[in-house]
Amino acid sequence: MTNYRGYIALFLMPTVALFLLVYAVSIVILFGTSFTEWSTGLKPAFIGFRNFVDMFAKDASFKDGFWNTALWVLLQSTLHVLIGLVFAIILNMKEFYWKFARTVFMFPNIISGAAVGMLFLCMLNPNFGAVNSIVRLFGDGEYAQNWFMDYATAFLSVTMTWLPYAAVVTILILAEIAAIPDSLFESARIDGASELKINLFIVIPMLRNIIGTCVILAGTSMLQKMDIIMMTTGGGPGNTTLNLPMYIYKTAMMDNNFGYSNAVGVFLIGFGIVFVLLVRYLFRIGNAST
Amino acid sequence: MNKTFFKTGGAIAGAVVLLASVTACGSNNSSSPNSGVSSSDNPSASTSASASASAQASEQIAPKAPVKIKYLTYRVGTHASAKLEAEQIKQFNAKYGNEVEVQVEEIPSDSAYEDKLKILAASGDIPDVVMGKNGINDILIKGNLATPFNDYLSQDPEWAKEIGDEALAANTRDGKVWSISDQKQTVGYFYNKEMFEKAGIKPAQTWDEFMSNNEKLKGAGFVPLALMTGENAWTTNLILASIVGTSGEAGNKFMNTLHPSDFNTPEMIDALGKVKTMLEKYTTKDAIGAGYANAANSFCQAKAAIIANGPWMIGDFSDTTKCAAGFDQKVGIAAFPGNGMISSYEVGYMNGGKTQETRDAAEKFIRFKTGLEGQRIALEFGNVVPVSDQVQPSDELKQKYPLLVESIEVGNQSQVHYGSFDSIVYPNVTDAWKLLYPELVFGKSTAEEIAKKLSEIAAKNK
Repeated sequence: MTNYRGYIALFLMPTVALFLLVYAVSIVILFGTSFTEWSTGLKPAFIGFRNFVDMFAKDASFKDGFWNTALWVLLQSTLHVLIGLVFAIILNMKEFYWKFARTVFMFPNIISGAAVGMLFLCMLNPNFGAVNSIVRLFGDGEYAQNWFMDYATAFLSVTMTWLPYAAVVTILILAEIAAIPDSLFESARIDGASELKINLFIVIPMLRNIIGTCVILAGTSMLQKMDIIMMTTGGGPGNTTLNLPMYIYKTAMMDNNFGYSNAVGVFLIGFGIVFVLLVRYLFRIGNAST
Repeated sequence: MNKTFFKTGGAIAGAVVLLASVTACGSNNSSSPNSGVSSSDNPSASTSASASASAQASEQIAPKAPVKIKYLTYRVGTHASAKLEAEQIKQFNAKYGNEVEVQVEEIPSDSAYEDKLKILAASGDIPDVVMGKNGINDILIKGNLATPFNDYLSQDPEWAKEIGDEALAANTRDGKVWSISDQKQTVGYFYNKEMFEKAGIKPAQTWDEFMSNNEKLKGAGFVPLALMTGENAWTTNLILASIVGTSGEAGNKFMNTLHPSDFNTPEMIDALGKVKTMLEKYTTKDAIGAGYANAANSFCQAKAAIIANGPWMIGDFSDTTKCAAGFDQKVGIAAFPGNGMISSYEVGYMNGGKTQETRDAAEKFIRFKTGLEGQRIALEFGNVVPVSDQVQPSDELKQKYPLLVESIEVGNQSQVHYGSFDSIVYPNVTDAWKLLYPELVFGKSTAEEIAKKLSEIAAKNK
């Protein structure tokens, strides 16, 4: 083992160098400038914690963005993962349709976010959108909506552009189910357990680690979600669909306030770390399955 | 064994080719005689005596290589000005290609261009020629990243004359001309003559008549207005700006003020109230949240009777991929009620060159684009209104686009002039309309509250 230490260091070096250059430097700059007043074209001026104080004390848009982000993280790490899990269990029954269903379920995940945004923008268009056309077929158009812009439907409409498409979760869980020894299933069946009981009391408990991982992946994906929001609502109407990544973009690019934007970025990173630690603790990720 | 040998050999050969190509790219960048970096700007140039001697010898023989300048443009693809941009660059290359090499980078959207320029400005690495639109000029001026044109203009008074005093004054701050405008915005509204005839109306003289026309159009079974509140709410805001701009002295002054900070004015509140009514009663169902393409499509497909927009849209009316054949014959143009028209000069081009050589080359490119030749190309290929009276549409263009001639006449007859919101407000205010209009229409905020919010947003700008 000792003989390989040099090689290990050598092979790790490019990754470490890349990490330091691309991420570490950026994060240090992000943290450093979050304590400054800094707009494009000017040098950063140190202002202590003022950005953070303003964020929590005065900024209603930040609060709206934070609550929306938190709600989306919660929905994605629960409902989204649940959908993926249920679908994985159904597919694991290996009925005649399972390969077809698995492929079709994957489609939304291989399309770029911007394209998905455009797709939904057309589908939910109040004039010619497919959804309103169907709604009008069953009535006089009373329930036809401006789905992305009406206060009553905007949040739900944006949420539906990503919440149901849990193919990544399904695939990860399917792979984990495949690793469960067949002998366990056989023993359960000999003992007279139904498929439902096998899934509830054997399969799902043994998936704890991968479900925890999926919760982290799904939840943290909401901390960087911006493309679809940008394509569809831009954070509106009002701040109804504003999230923190969108708010960071607006603060930096529109308000030209990089210092404040970076302070919100620091908060978002902190929020992400707390979320990951919490999920790791709840799911005891890394501990052997019992 | 053989397999392994070939695999290893192939991998090594691939790596060597990759390394060679990377090295070649690097060396080309660093030592290219065309880099445009003079020896005084590049200390490494004087480190080798022999290299310097041989360079001097070759300079005596070889002609001077063209200076390379970087230019980012969003006028590409389906952009209304894509054709004029391509033609201007083509003609510039034909005329000055041996002196200046323009390295064009295409950015396929206005907002992506603005974002990229802001990021580049933050790192101090802007292109040599920059379009200073939507607040980019402010950032470059504040960061001391651009060179004023005063010296160039005083050395070439003919060029200054071609641009005109008004256009130069529009982009002058504290006596420094920071950008050169390439076009004049003269915006009224287009209307569908057939629909107007069927509704028994003529272009309105007052805003009350305008609202009454909307009601008559609606009564005749037409959607009166092609509005949109997504993106920068362009077609809606042209009407909003016109209501404010024609409302009297105070409103007109407001619409001619750069970076207004207080939107809480009676004119603004009244205008927001009128636009609210238009959005509620007289436009398409998708107007709230719609983009420009939706509004343009509504008008071109004869689904709405009126669209506020500039003459650059005229070409679309005879483009059968956008409008039905013969649609251009049905379109009329009018000034806004109160004989008002949006009339402002674009921010235009800024010089971001970092060395004297690239600054001079950038100036040459900008001079071509904004001089009579460039303005003529813009008019002929993009229906863009020139900044100089010396440039007039050709007979061929007049025949092809009679509406363009009409639009120039309407512009000349209009008496009340003002800027568009995009040209006067801070970029964050431009970005806010798409969030605020739904608030207004869905009754979450009153016109007074929206005006107050606009002031708060403007105050956030750094």
